[in-house]
Amino acid sequence: MFNTTGVYIVASSLVQGGRHYEKGLKELFAESFLKALDNAGNPGVGAIYVANAFAESLQDQGVLGAYLADYVGLRKTPAIRIEGGDGSSGLAFLEAYNMIRSGIYDCVAVSGVEKMSDVTSIRLNKALATITDYEYEGFFGVTPAAISALAMKEYMSKYNYDYEDMAIWPVKMHERGSANPLAYMRRKISLKDVMDSEVVSEPLRLYDTAPAVDGAGTVILCNKPLKNDAVVRVDGVGVGSNGTYIGQRSELTMLHSVADATNMALRMANTEVGSVNAVEVHDTYSILGILALESMGITRPGETPRALSLGQLDPGGRVVVNASGGLKSMGFPGGASGMYELVSMHMELMGTKPFDNLNAEVGLVQDMSGFDLTSTVILLRRVS
Amino acid sequence: MVDQKLSVPRYWRRIPQYYRLEGVQCVKCGRIYYPPRAVCECGSREFRAYPLPSVGKLINYTVLYSVPSEFEKMKPLVIGIVDLGGVRVMGQIVDCPDPSKLSPGIDVEVVFRMVKMDGNYGIINYGYKFRPLNSC
Ligand SMILES: [Zn+2]
Repeated sequence: MFNTTGVYIVASSLVQGGRHYEKGLKELFAESFLKALDNAGNPGVGAIYVANAFAESLQDQGVLGAYLADYVGLRKTPAIRIEGGDGSSGLAFLEAYNMIRSGIYDCVAVSGVEKMSDVTSIRLNKALATITDYEYEGFFGVTPAAISALAMKEYMSKYNYDYEDMAIWPVKMHERGSANPLAYMRRKISLKDVMDSEVVSEPLRLYDTAPAVDGAGTVILCNKPLKNDAVVRVDGVGVGSNGTYIGQRSELTMLHSVADATNMALRMANTEVGSVNAVEVHDTYSILGILALESMGITRPGETPRALSLGQLDPGGRVVVNASGGLKSMGFPGGASGMYELVSMHMELMGTKPFDNLNAEVGLVQDMSGFDLTSTVILLRRVS
Repeated sequence: MVDQKLSVPRYWRRIPQYYRLEGVQCVKCGRIYYPPRAVCECGSREFRAYPLPSVGKLINYTVLYSVPSEFEKMKPLVIGIVDLGGVRVMGQIVDCPDPSKLSPGIDVEVVFRMVKMDGNYGIINYGYKFRPLNSC
């Protein structure tokens, strides 16, 4: 069914998330792109896929691809911008993957770049409202946080959890982030810190939300490994969708786009979820990370907070979840978020410090736009 | 400079939905959609207008403290999902000074209210909100 041409991640790089006031979109992009290109030994790339969600609203910049390619001296290299809200990176990866699988290019770059700190929080919130159905949700004051809060409330009542039980997510993510030099939040926190943080949309609190950051990340994909030692191969990709208007959902505790994307990626890789050793999920809000794991089949529905508190998803276990500290501790760089997860997973599979003790061979990366709008899942395998 | 929230034509064309909660019903299989859509799950593209009932039940709600700028004066907002004759609609719950008295399953009715006001040059946007039938 699938041809035998392989697709490999031959290099990756990440700019630490933060408030990079001195850098614009092109400087952030160039920093990550050139580093990844150098790490790959400077193969020529046939095209660049740029993931970005908010350049028009935050930087007044359109035609982002051409503008970024020119800055790095590649004015004759097609650079295509992919917009899929905060799930842009996974979709850009899919396009890049397809171009290699179809034999059009030998190597391509996928970069995610976003600058969230260029505007006041009022304008940023307005940009974030574009990942709701604006005419029927944003218009009435509904925000992504409110939708996640509704899902969290439904989850807590369905599975009989208190807020204290749910607070395990941010506590665990900060614990992992404290060991990750690429994390934005590198401080451990206590249950009390979470409980004392302000309520954003009840029951969701400030510590349940990933902090907005500026950032960029790049992976270089080629049709063959460029080095002889361990490399990471893309064995499966999947994509799924589940409509827009949240009112039309009969339940909010299962992310159907994530389930579909996972099944597609596993089927393509001819493997099962039980063979996965490492997962990076898109936890812009704690509840989304929890629901993603359950929708992927990593944990059973309703089980995740308990599994986390028992340490079952910690490094060293059967499967490690968000060894990077997730978006909760790395930060939320809009459309570049999925690139943070992808680059983290690349490092986890390659055993790059601080992930040198994971011994993970198979990893899943899940990226998502809004609340279960469009999701991508990518299955990566370390091969020798 | 005033940051206009929504242009007149863009608002105007949604008046049947915002003022009358007008969804659509598939002529072939009877399914009802809100917001309206062009193709039914059964494949049919033929619909008739279907105003939703004005009384329903609250399914779930949240109290939103971090609100978009144009709602700053009304915060916190209570955002709820309401079942109107089998169709779920999301919107603001109003006339409820003590949201802790809300609970899933209570009866709510549709009311017509100002949604937002657009500064010096703009327009006033009206639309539906939901009010508990028994005080809270
Ligand atoms: Zn029909």
